[in-house]
Amino acid sequence: MNILEVKNVKKNFGGVVALSGASLTCKEGRITGLLGANGSGKSTLSKIIAGVYTPDSGEITYLGKKIHYRNPHEAKQQGIGMVYQNLSLVPELTVWQNIVLGDEKNAGYFLDDKNARERAADIIHKLLPNIDIEKKVFELTPGEMQVVEIAKAVSRKPKLLILDEPTAALEKAQVISLFNMMKELASSGVAIIFTSHRLWEVIEICHDLTIFRNGQNVGSMDFDKDEKDVKKIIFYITGSQSETGIAKTCAETCGETRLSIRNLNLGTTLKNISFDLKKGEILGVGGLAGQGQQELMLALAGNFAKISCDAKIDGKPIKLTRPSNAIRNGIVLVPGDRETEGLFSKHSVFTNLIFPKIGIEKKSFIVPHAKLRKECEQIANILALKAASLDMPVSTLSGGNQQKVVIGKWLGLETKVLLLSDPAKGIDIGAKTDLYSYIIDQVRNRGMSVVLYASDTKELIEYCDRILIMYEGSIAATLDTEEITEENIIRASMRV
Amino acid sequence: MNAPARVLTALNTSFFSKYKKLIIAALLIIFLFILGETVVSDFLSVQQILLTIKLSSFIALFGLCQMIVIAAGGSGLDLSVGYTATITAVLTAKLMDGRNDNIWIAILAALALGLIIGVLNGFFISYIKLPPLVVTLAMSQMVQGAINVYTAGKNITGKPSPILQIIAAKTTGFIPNILFLLILLTIIVMLILQKTRIGVLLFGAGANPTAAHLSGVDVKRVRFFSYVVSGILASLIGLLLLGNMGIAFKDMGSNYVMPSIAAAVVGGVSLTGGDGNYLGVVLGAIFLQTLTNLLVALGWGDAGKWTGFGIVLFLLLIVYVSNPRKR
Amino acid sequence: MQGKSMKTGKHILRDYASKPEFSSLLILLVMFVLTAVLQKNFFEIKSIMRNINAFAPLILVTMGQAVVIISGGIDLSSGTALSLLTCVLTSIMKKNDPITGLYAIIITFLIALLIGFMNGFGIGYLRIPPVISTFATSFIWLGIALFLRPTPGGESVPWFGVFYNFDTLKDTSAFFSLLSGFLPPALLLVVIGCILWYVISKTRTGRYIYAVGGNSESAYESGINTARTQIVAFMINSIFIFLAALFFVGQTGSGDARMGDPLTLKSIAAAVVGGIALSGGRGNVYFALVGALILSLVNKIIFFANIPYAYQTLVGGAIVIVAIAGSQAYISYSTKIKEIKIG
Repeated sequence: MNILEVKNVKKNFGGVVALSGASLTCKEGRITGLLGANGSGKSTLSKIIAGVYTPDSGEITYLGKKIHYRNPHEAKQQGIGMVYQNLSLVPELTVWQNIVLGDEKNAGYFLDDKNARERAADIIHKLLPNIDIEKKVFELTPGEMQVVEIAKAVSRKPKLLILDEPTAALEKAQVISLFNMMKELASSGVAIIFTSHRLWEVIEICHDLTIFRNGQNVGSMDFDKDEKDVKKIIFYITGSQSETGIAKTCAETCGETRLSIRNLNLGTTLKNISFDLKKGEILGVGGLAGQGQQELMLALAGNFAKISCDAKIDGKPIKLTRPSNAIRNGIVLVPGDRETEGLFSKHSVFTNLIFPKIGIEKKSFIVPHAKLRKECEQIANILALKAASLDMPVSTLSGGNQQKVVIGKWLGLETKVLLLSDPAKGIDIGAKTDLYSYIIDQVRNRGMSVVLYASDTKELIEYCDRILIMYEGSIAATLDTEEITEENIIRASMRV
Repeated sequence: MNAPARVLTALNTSFFSKYKKLIIAALLIIFLFILGETVVSDFLSVQQILLTIKLSSFIALFGLCQMIVIAAGGSGLDLSVGYTATITAVLTAKLMDGRNDNIWIAILAALALGLIIGVLNGFFISYIKLPPLVVTLAMSQMVQGAINVYTAGKNITGKPSPILQIIAAKTTGFIPNILFLLILLTIIVMLILQKTRIGVLLFGAGANPTAAHLSGVDVKRVRFFSYVVSGILASLIGLLLLGNMGIAFKDMGSNYVMPSIAAAVVGGVSLTGGDGNYLGVVLGAIFLQTLTNLLVALGWGDAGKWTGFGIVLFLLLIVYVSNPRKR
Repeated sequence: MQGKSMKTGKHILRDYASKPEFSSLLILLVMFVLTAVLQKNFFEIKSIMRNINAFAPLILVTMGQAVVIISGGIDLSSGTALSLLTCVLTSIMKKNDPITGLYAIIITFLIALLIGFMNGFGIGYLRIPPVISTFATSFIWLGIALFLRPTPGGESVPWFGVFYNFDTLKDTSAFFSLLSGFLPPALLLVVIGCILWYVISKTRTGRYIYAVGGNSESAYESGINTARTQIVAFMINSIFIFLAALFFVGQTGSGDARMGDPLTLKSIAAAVVGGIALSGGRGNVYFALVGALILSLVNKIIFFANIPYAYQTLVGGAIVIVAIAGSQAYISYSTKIKEIKIG
């Protein structure tokens, strides 16, 4: 039976078209994958189905009835559950309190906490057997938080479950547990919508696929009948064949040691990390999620005043205790979360682009607007930055273009070491290609060095010359060019 | 989105809000004056307008202190500006004693006092990370206490130098001199904030301290200095207050604190930090003063004045600051 | 149900000690000891009763303020609302007509709820930042209070004194005469407040107040009506203020449009000292009570330590800073607040 039918839904936000005619069918007990670039509309469609947004036009039929939800609560009560990309947890409440949040049951006049604890434990221990449900959510790792979010949605016993990028923060073991739960739910009749940027996950778990591009669906596959053709899927997503391959290799272009790190220690988070980074080399940082990779990136950028480390850049010793030290020596960071760490959302593109330059250079008291504007226009050209004008607030740009601003702001300064903390996360393939082609050009042709942390293993494989695998805050293994395969990475990550 | 919500959201889009809010503030002031004219003749006279602007000058000046600490972010507020101004007035009155000779010493003393208070505020707020509301509140109490200690058992004596009186209290022709000061200050402040590094750092630290920090800016230092500047400015304003009143007394500055915050908000300064336009603050101060005058002119007494003030401010906030959820 | 691992006594103590509230209890203990040392007759019944009467208003207003702060807001209109309620009470009551006392209580209670509703509406539905919204409404309450009572005064029925001293009812029953010897009604008012909060905290609304204050977007997406929760939080605050108003009118028999002003900012400082985070979502209302006690005792200590009157304000302010610095240091030491984000 069709649990959900979406016909020709349209939605725009203040003039920006998010959906220009989306259609979708979800059957009872089947897992439907939604694929598409960022901005293709799949997230918007999910949120419309879940009642967060209201559609401008189009028809949605759920369990045989047309629905017009005014808020998420109504959708929830009808049995539609959604797990978001941005978590909807309250950090100061405990795991079990969050799982039952909004759905508490009463014993008499008061809350039935005992029942709540039991319900919560039942569900979450299937996904994370050892988690302490009395912990406050802010004490958890991002992966654990994501699991709590999933448990919360599942605890409402939905008939239609929408999972929007649920695996982004999860380790392989947690993904396996999640997939098992999904299969269990599906076999009990729940219809599931699953989105992910990781093609192979979607191919593994989904029964069928719908692919979005530019606000409408452009293709679908039913894995009961069709073959799982990766090339065809990529073609649907991008509208073009995917291209891979690096122009030159490190053997041809790498030079002497640019950055030398010895005995980097930060409390219990990072332990005894040492490595060398050559000129013109792309060094990857991998491993399971949450093993200290992001902290390492922040540490190299000078974020931690309490760090102890012997660092040398081009032979000159430096102290990585403040970001300005790192930046002055050409070490710059593109942080993991651009909204909270990399951009001034309400400020203009122009202001964002010039900020580090102005912030660092003490000599320039007066800001030379005209000269800087020319520079920014050049930067926008180099990165193929699409923005209506440099004076628009940066929040109006798409994710990919925002990331280009985050990188672009360093272009005005001399960059010797570019630290990239998951730069392509949540970015559509077009923007990702632009970004990487710029980076690779800088690396191979101009000798810039890169440290790349990517949560997507395939990204590491494609771009890196060497990979450091991290485990519990220290380097567990180093993989050199020939050794870089997915199998080796996973083995090293899991210490097999 | 329905029409009213669309209008409200359009009004609140950060890009246009700077200019829209300024225009609205100016329009409202004009509206109030016209309304006042229908109630009381001569409300819309040049004389009355100038008088209003003079009275609002002090709110606008304190409003600059607030704008700086608020824009720097971290829920910044400075509740100590009132008593900072007061202690400077009280201590320098004796120094100047009605003569111009000692004015430089008085200015130095003012700078020192403002510096001490600002440094203490900045230290506890920025480096020890205590909430600004409570720190500046406690600081204002301590300064008040210090005034009590100094004036215990004796009268406050002394008069301001004639120079201060000329600037703060007198007029040139029919234009109050302090208006010149205000215009000059507005131009200087806007130039500094829009064209220099200071503005970029201040608004960056307020808009997103993490991003600013990762871009090499010492956010703690920026916020620290915002309180230092606020303290010094408040202290200098104290000299002007003294010049305006002719004598110093214990509660000189405390009535300006809350209105200065209101003026900043009405003037478009976001309470979370990251943006602000001083011209807006000045217009906000003029608006608040005009409103107060109008309410007094209506003859409703204190009760009517405060109730009307509260209601109008509340209504204004609904238009300015309220934030209907997008769907 | 999955069992938690067995906790040893040491673990329980460590868990408890890492809470910020623990530091405030410690400070309270120190304050008690200091006061007891300095005030000779501290442990005498009469003096304890007098202290409770002196502390009760701040305690009540602080507890209400704490509820509002936990819900993510703040109330800068507490003081003027309190003044307004005293003016309303004394404007409705007629000295010679005992039943007007009952009318006054009912009507004032409703007005208190209305005040809370209006404050909460501005913040919950209109989404005006609480600092500036309650700043605006504080003038409205002040104006109305001045309208009712341009100068302090008004009338009060004789039996209203029961909110201050049980002695008032000694003619009705010897029981009250007995009570007046050791039980100040102010204590009962505080207990009523505590019971009110206890009941609320065990219901959905109580949980939601923490949720909305902790992360209102998450609360909204979980289906919680955040506006309604914030309105309820402000109405609870108003009830606490109402209790304080009963006490004041019971004590003085008159209403005063300005009497509440000093309590606003003090209640905020007291809440912070009691471990309530101004950012919302965390804190314990009973510990806000502790914070109010600490601040009140500080004033007593300053008085009894024979610090010259002129220095009292100075020292008082300094101690507030020290107290919240201590509280903050404890919070930083024992908790790490991570932002929510994926991966």
